[in-house]
Amino acid sequence: MIVRRVAGFFDERLGSQSILRAALNKIYPDHWSFYLGEFALYCFVVLVATGVWLTFVYDPSPGGAYASVVALGRTQPIGYLMRQVHHWSAVVFVAAILVHMGRIFFTAAYRKPRELNWVVGVLLLALASATGFTGYSLPNDALSGTGLRIGISVAQSIPFVGAWSSDLINGGSYPGPLLLSHLYTIHVYFLPVAIGVLIGLHLGMLFLQKHTQFEGDGSKVVGRRFYPDYALRTLAAFGATLAVLLVLAATVEINPVENYGAYRDWIVPNPATPDWYAGWLDGALRIGPAVEFRVFGHPIPAVFWPGVVLMLVTFALVVAWPWIDHAFRGGEELHDVLVPPSAAPWRVGVGAAFVTAGVVLTCAASDDQQALALHAPLTALVTLYQLAFPFGSLAAGLLAAIFARELRQRRDASGPRAERVIVITRNERGGFDEEAAESA
Amino acid sequence: MRDLLLFAAAAAALVCAATAALHANPAIPGLLAALAFASIACWAGATARGLRAASDLTEPRHSFASVTASEPVSRAGWFGRAWAVALGAFGVAALVPLVSLGRRPIAAASAWTRGARLVTPEGVPVRADDIAIGGVATVFPEHRVGAPESAVLLIRVEDGKIQAPPERRDWTPSGNVAYSKICTHAGCPVAIYLHVYYTLYCPCHQSEFDVRHGARPIAGPATRPLPQLGLAVDREGFLIARGDFDAPVGPDSWDRPA
Repeated sequence: MIVRRVAGFFDERLGSQSILRAALNKIYPDHWSFYLGEFALYCFVVLVATGVWLTFVYDPSPGGAYASVVALGRTQPIGYLMRQVHHWSAVVFVAAILVHMGRIFFTAAYRKPRELNWVVGVLLLALASATGFTGYSLPNDALSGTGLRIGISVAQSIPFVGAWSSDLINGGSYPGPLLLSHLYTIHVYFLPVAIGVLIGLHLGMLFLQKHTQFEGDGSKVVGRRFYPDYALRTLAAFGATLAVLLVLAATVEINPVENYGAYRDWIVPNPATPDWYAGWLDGALRIGPAVEFRVFGHPIPAVFWPGVVLMLVTFALVVAWPWIDHAFRGGEELHDVLVPPSAAPWRVGVGAAFVTAGVVLTCAASDDQQALALHAPLTALVTLYQLAFPFGSLAAGLLAAIFARELRQRRDASGPRAERVIVITRNERGGFDEEAAESA
Repeated sequence: MRDLLLFAAAAAALVCAATAALHANPAIPGLLAALAFASIACWAGATARGLRAASDLTEPRHSFASVTASEPVSRAGWFGRAWAVALGAFGVAALVPLVSLGRRPIAAASAWTRGARLVTPEGVPVRADDIAIGGVATVFPEHRVGAPESAVLLIRVEDGKIQAPPERRDWTPSGNVAYSKICTHAGCPVAIYLHVYYTLYCPCHQSEFDVRHGARPIAGPATRPLPQLGLAVDREGFLIARGDFDAPVGPDSWDRPA
């Protein structure tokens, strides 16, 4: 009754009913892997909700930041829970984006006409990581403060604009009086707004272009209506995301800044490793070559190569991937039907090589703890990682491609699989007779 | 039957609110809220599964190009190019104010000056024999504890262990040697000293520096030695600095004076 009245109110003024009906009746294909992006979306919802809450207790002044975060644990149980949920959501957010991206990659969903949405997705990954890093730095504890100093050192290494950008963010030379307040504005305003806008674009393009599917020839979407089918399933995804995040936050403590102490530039906890999504860059800094040379008298510090060049090249390659793929494959047709990974061994190979490179760098970010646990010399581990980064990735890519090709050949050799049906009948003696039968 | 889950969700949410209001251990309202959302998820999932009976529906797809190649959108030609140049010029001009945002960097100077006493973070001056051999302390210039880029590691090694060039022979009275604690690689505190090997070790990226040879980098990604602080002993027996560091503190950058 109330729903009808409200709907009528808007319809009489905006003609909204026909738009709403079209949206609710829209057909969406279904597959479990199509929900991965939704987990990321709901993490963002949780991040905004808990983040808004946290803005009311956080103090971005250099003297007050750490105390305001630690006070949450002592005086406000719910505030402590909010921070735990917020931090867990951040790390799961980036993970969900990556897994979703893996699904898109391995099923070739990024092909024409969806290249633009791939690019928006990559930007979302970059912004999510940046938001994570700036938020992680806000408590101004000894661990994140050291990470921030590393980040600023990397920014300073950029030719021409390095020192300028560092001074910009610091409000003077490091550690500037405005550093936290600048990070705070970036973390709670610029980045989330950009993410929100890009999510809007992401979903808008999905709506316009219609979702890909595994079945059929692509001439039509095969699936279920948004309402009630898909609405219920996405509600289930929402509830599941929140349940998982809350259980994690309530049972596994993350980033206990109370134990690290406030940041001072001469104190660092050991071991010092960042949140997982920054691990690949930290690992690259650890195994990067110790080379520094001068260009027209200006130094190019060692951190420039792993910290800036590697990051930019990686993102550039990922952004360009749909066009790289297209250059090798050719053709201008539209693709609405997904490719199972085993159907394209070379794509599996490229993906596996990329994932391996990321895993190697991420593992390298805790090489000191591995050396300690394995009683192995650290320098040997570093050399191992330096070799594994190019060669291990290459080998993993080749192996994965060969494995995928083998799978495809076996499947092709056995032909289209008929469903096996066994007819069971009861005989006169009371026993059972089994008889194989071909299904229709 | 399935709808009982919704009542479970409501009950869990209410108890969650109650425990939160009573300032219970945050894990309790957290788990109750998780239970509420899990119930909703189960309800929605089960209901969706119940809808599964009907067959799949279809909706036609279509191509996106709304203009065909034979029908050009723009006939602007030279005029359009003139507009592009004008707009581009405005764009470039709009970037210029960015330059005024960042201040021209001044190389951050440390707070060390000639004759400054070495004091602990608590402000206690250090004598030449205060630190045991193999010992290490973080020190600052007197009255400037915590000054940026000024943290120094004061290490005591056996007298005569330091291999220094002639001009630095007397920088290490009684085996006291002092280096900047800020790593030249990425700015972390070089917090770990291994007396067995006479090496300083950075916990961030595992650069190692040889304390006996001017803290030159011997492993890891650092390329520059840790700047050294020349030491002397004043009349009252306290350690003092001979001046500022012998090199710029911290990581290099494009604008670092050569």
